[in-house]
Amino acid sequence: MRYLQHFLISAALCSLAAVNVRAGDIKVIANSSVGASSVSADELKGVFLATKTSLSDGSHVEPVLLKSGPAHEAFVKQYLGKTDAALETYYRSLVFTGKGSMPKALASDAEMVGYVAKTKGAIGYVSVGASTEGVKAIEVK
Amino acid sequence: MNVTVRMGLMVACALPGLLHAQFDFTIGGRDVQIHSFVSQGFGYSNDNNYLTMNTSQGSFAMTDGGVNASVRITDKFRVGAQVYDRNVGDLGKWHPQLDWATADYKFKDWFGIRGGVVKTVFGLENDTQDMDFLHTFALLPQSMYPTDLRDANIRHRGGDIYGEIPLKHLGSLAYTAFAGLRQDSAYGGYPYLLTATGGHLTSYGGLQVGEDLRWNTPLKGLLVGASHEGEDITGKGTWTLAFPGQPPFTMAYEEHSNRDWTNQFYGQYTIGNLRLASEYRRYWRDQTIFNGMWEVETDVRGWYTAASYRISKHLELGTYYSRWVNSWVDSMVGLIQAPSQNSPDRHLYDKVVTARVDLNSHWNVKVEGHFMDGYGSPGMYPDGFYTSDNPQGLKPKTNLLIVRTGFNF
Repeated sequence: MRYLQHFLISAALCSLAAVNVRAGDIKVIANSSVGASSVSADELKGVFLATKTSLSDGSHVEPVLLKSGPAHEAFVKQYLGKTDAALETYYRSLVFTGKGSMPKALASDAEMVGYVAKTKGAIGYVSVGASTEGVKAIEVK
Repeated sequence: MNVTVRMGLMVACALPGLLHAQFDFTIGGRDVQIHSFVSQGFGYSNDNNYLTMNTSQGSFAMTDGGVNASVRITDKFRVGAQVYDRNVGDLGKWHPQLDWATADYKFKDWFGIRGGVVKTVFGLENDTQDMDFLHTFALLPQSMYPTDLRDANIRHRGGDIYGEIPLKHLGSLAYTAFAGLRQDSAYGGYPYLLTATGGHLTSYGGLQVGEDLRWNTPLKGLLVGASHEGEDITGKGTWTLAFPGQPPFTMAYEEHSNRDWTNQFYGQYTIGNLRLASEYRRYWRDQTIFNGMWEVETDVRGWYTAASYRISKHLELGTYYSRWVNSWVDSMVGLIQAPSQNSPDRHLYDKVVTARVDLNSHWNVKVEGHFMDGYGSPGMYPDGFYTSDNPQGLKPKTNLLIVRTGFNF
């Protein structure tokens, strides 16, 4: 029984550590036109699943994705609760039924920062180590 | 339609995708997105022919595709359209359809309107049922999404109001209410069924009004919902009667709804790479047919439960069990349905296993086995098996292999 307790506690700590590592890997960024400096996790999910087009402060937002990579995988899993394949399927279901468009997808952190910096309402994410000059950091509560 | 024309249509569907980079372009500073898909299937069954294909001999007559264009005019206003075409046995016959063509204005996240030719939101998969690449299965559960009756519910010419309402710690509620006209293709399952006995529908459709409500529950990955629609359908055309020793006689034909509704309830749970889904549908069809001479009440009930699991980036496995039963009462003398639902002409149960291989993110191949019990035919409404396609008589069991490949961009 004691071993089982140790095992469960260790497993729980490991999973928490894993979550923290993933959370620390990502920075959410936005164009300077976006008024809010923080969003809730639900808001962020709604924006990236195309059910929300504005934040609680009224700012119009447009989601931008990375095409692949650890930051993308972590963001999709942690904030959207989907796998990359499931997210792609979700977007395609919107596109092919006339209920949405495919979001812009960029190849690198640098491209993402450049695009978000110049595009009104753009909201995206990058690796924690990426330079975010010219964009606004958004806290996810 | 000859092979050259068929290939031309397939290439027309696939070409924008193959040249994807060249087909996303900008007009007046606005991005125009072009997307397309095409799929080709092969069906082989041990005895009975299925879905109007000659599956007992092996059939490649299972092709469909579509191409769409959309553009966001403003932050809140979007327009787009899609053309769809198919040739599945005797269904579709390469007659292209305007699948959807909508103008969509979203005032708020909780309220938007869209109008035009609109794909109908109904249950989990109704509006995506043609897009093979979105699903684990080569054939969706036919108790819920019958390939031969696709036209019945796929779209309406009218409008929707829609939105999603956040419920804070209770998740969110997405709603769609729709009203519009249904207009079936002349190459669908119901006209095909009537053809076997001399009927020729030139128009079939009418008003559809309904709603869909789905709750994204606070339990992550769990969605539950319900859909309902009522409709008022009229069919018109001709009927040719042939009596022994007499020349055939053709007369004008009309049928119409007295009371016609569908209810559907559904749930889906997704966790990691596992997806579980289940739906139940009841379709009640009360019609006066044959120029007011007879009334037919058909009660169709179906449900399925499905599971799929993505093993890796390239492989997904899935299974479902689908049950379909029908009951009908007819005022025509001499037409009596078997009293028990155990009779193969009153049910269709289907056990299915599938492997989906994603060769890349745009190209998949599916291999699927169907183990069917019953054929639900002859009936007053189709279910995939047609007596005219099985003149040797329908066998109570059917094993069917489907191999299907699809591209999308």
